[in-house]
Amino acid sequence: MTILLAVFLLTMLVITAVAIVRTRDLFAAVMLLGIFSLLMAANFFVLDAADVALTEAAVGAGISTVLFLGALALTAARERESGDSRWLPLVVVVIMAATVVYATFDKPALGDPNAPVHQHVAPWYLSETPRLIDIPNVVTAVLGSYRGYDTLGEVFVVFTAGIAVLFLLGSGRPGELFSRPPDELSTGGLKHHLIPRVVGKLLIPFIILFGLYVQFHGEYGPGGGFQAGAIIAAGVILYALLEGETRALAALPESALKVMVIGGALLYTLVGVVCMLMGGNFLDYSVLSTNSVAGQQLGIILIEAGVGLAVTGVLLSIFHAFAARATA
Amino acid sequence: MFITVSIAILVTMALAIIRALRGPSIYDRILAVNMFGTKTVLLVSVVAFLFGRPDFLDLALAYALINFIGVLAVLEFFQSRSLRRELGAAQQRDSL
Repeated sequence: MTILLAVFLLTMLVITAVAIVRTRDLFAAVMLLGIFSLLMAANFFVLDAADVALTEAAVGAGISTVLFLGALALTAARERESGDSRWLPLVVVVIMAATVVYATFDKPALGDPNAPVHQHVAPWYLSETPRLIDIPNVVTAVLGSYRGYDTLGEVFVVFTAGIAVLFLLGSGRPGELFSRPPDELSTGGLKHHLIPRVVGKLLIPFIILFGLYVQFHGEYGPGGGFQAGAIIAAGVILYALLEGETRALAALPESALKVMVIGGALLYTLVGVVCMLMGGNFLDYSVLSTNSVAGQQLGIILIEAGVGLAVTGVLLSIFHAFAARATA
Repeated sequence: MFITVSIAILVTMALAIIRALRGPSIYDRILAVNMFGTKTVLLVSVVAFLFGRPDFLDLALAYALINFIGVLAVLEFFQSRSLRRELGAAQQRDSL
């Protein structure tokens, strides 16, 4: 059943991807990218990777469409026809694809218990996590503790990407995501549409609450800082769409976003430094408390909070940067 | 029973993709994406029970909560674009 579902979803994924590449209508491409992301998340879910699926869901379903539309507002509606011959790129892509498909023949079958990936460190993680960290979601244990260095690296990648986008777009004066004429509607947002406004505003507290649940329930179920950050950012973006950028920035000003971005990355690093000062290795949370299991859990909660702050801050800064650019 | 339901949902997803690919109007595509999102929520819920992992319903909940934000952004995008076009047309009339 897993195979059947995965093959069906992947076939639709290929069809969508080809359509995205072929279409010249950029708006259609944005809509199809939304479908692409939904298909990808469903596929991750069918393969039992709930944490990854939740990330893809949180980023793909809400935020990436909004950011793509922000980019579309800055550019033309249609892609320009390029006069270059497309045969050479096509040949290169076909050869690469054939090589990759050929390579998969040597791959162990899906779910094969003898596959190298299930024989390397995974059994150790599964057998030792209850003793060392005592949380049910082993994925969070791997991300937060065993591979804490890698996750720290990921946070810095998000941090750097955020800075790079802000450099490119410039953080000018605050504006609306979609520029509008200077008339009575210039306050922005979907203020004059009662139904989206009432329903949307009712939903915002629940979105934020769910984000906090994902943040703090990450040790027990799918979730963690990355997913929670994206969900909370989606809630604030919904507020900005309904009430206008100006009010969203008044509620959560750019200075606060900067503190979140920098503070999140610093919090993660500081946890590691404190571990060293207390006599352990960098990011070895066992020394944070007299009981090493409690120390591990405390460390994971702290670094996940850092991740959540940084991701929320970066996503919202990028959103506001697009909006400021569209108005300028 | 879950298998029958999931196959039905997959067929609906395929139909929504066909509509999103063929268009022709932007509203067809918006509705197709919105419907595809709803079907993903349903598929995730059904598959969660099919595989005996009902705790994964969190994922369906996340979708249900934030799936419509993209559609709202699309609506605002077109609202502001048509306003700008009207203003541009009015300015052209004035200058004539």
